[in-house]
Amino acid sequence: MPDTITLELFRYHPDRDERPRFQAYEVPFREDWVVLDALNYLKDRVDGSLTYRWSCRMGVCGSCGMMVNGYPKLTCAAFLRDYLPGPIRVEPLSGFPVERDMVVVLDDFMQKLSSVKPWIIRETAAETMASGEYRQTPAQLAAFKQYSMCINCMLCYAACPVYQHEEQFVGPAVLALAQRYNLDSRDQGNSQRYPVVWADDGIWDCTFVGECSAVCPKHVDPAGAIQQAKIQSTVGFMRSLLPFGNR
Amino acid sequence: MAKPFHRPHSNTWWLRRGPYRVFMLREWSATIFAVYTVLLLVLVSKVLDGPEAYDDYLGVLKSPLMIAFHAVALAAALLHTVTWFQAVPKAMPLRIGEEKVPPVLLMGGAYATLLGASVVVVALFLLD
Ligand code: SF4
Ligand code: FES
Repeated sequence: MPDTITLELFRYHPDRDERPRFQAYEVPFREDWVVLDALNYLKDRVDGSLTYRWSCRMGVCGSCGMMVNGYPKLTCAAFLRDYLPGPIRVEPLSGFPVERDMVVVLDDFMQKLSSVKPWIIRETAAETMASGEYRQTPAQLAAFKQYSMCINCMLCYAACPVYQHEEQFVGPAVLALAQRYNLDSRDQGNSQRYPVVWADDGIWDCTFVGECSAVCPKHVDPAGAIQQAKIQSTVGFMRSLLPFGNR
Repeated sequence: MAKPFHRPHSNTWWLRRGPYRVFMLREWSATIFAVYTVLLLVLVSKVLDGPEAYDDYLGVLKSPLMIAFHAVALAAALLHTVTWFQAVPKAMPLRIGEEKVPPVLLMGGAYATLLGASVVVVALFLLD
């Protein structure tokens, strides 16, 4: 086991730098350290100006996603020992503008997220708390549960070549989340989501590269969700061609 | 006001990772099918032109270059078949109650259908 390992960090300070640069740091190598531990070590002891997001340290909050040796990873789940002998190159998530160092601009993702109305929509607004809870069987829950596991870490966007080249693409996680609510037996808002989901910049921008699902730390399988939505969209289109098909 | 930095795109992004390369190969191999379709349409028109034209065209198809092209087209078709069938359980997941039908079973079903259809096609020719 080596005593130390080298980290090459992407550095960009918006007020001082014209261009980003890479800066190499040596950190102690520990068998049980993840990349995030190494970053925290550096920030605490070596360079307090180092900027990155993190919170839970356990794959729940979804804020520590970065490119580790070119691959989108939750840095709290990327063990140093898997990158021996190093160096480990850490960059901000690919495809997003860089605010500073490892921090990317989230506005585009946030705006897309709300565009699919990721909440339960009911047709009858008059329902109140007094009308009671919505019942759901375990089988109905199983139909969408997988897609509800998303932690909005955006690793799938960083892995998606379509999003890297066409910024308007709604993208994997948001489309999977739309599917999550469309498949929910309690939801009645499908038709409100179709204008975003079925649009050219929605599911039809996807060329099924499949890397979103490969990098997803929560096994959400956004690629699968998008292909399912394509089938539903096609069936919906065919139905609209029939004289009485448009339900 | 701080300015976010937009990193430049590269045109060689797809060389970076194995799955990207397979994806590009699959996309570009579609052009092979376009050429193959043209060859097939020419064959049909030669059949309409009579036995001589048909035999002449068969001669062309037997040239080493044509055989090589068809071998490549077959390989590309297999790539598409395999990746398409891999997508089946993703695009059309089946559930029985709470349980997911295992993906292998769905893919197996796709291959079985392919095999069945192939047997029918081959039988049509052999029974002729
Ligand atoms: S789908 Fe997966 S990779 Fe994408 S944001 Fe959600 S958890 Fe992250
Ligand atoms: S720090 Fe929360 S997911 Fe990594």
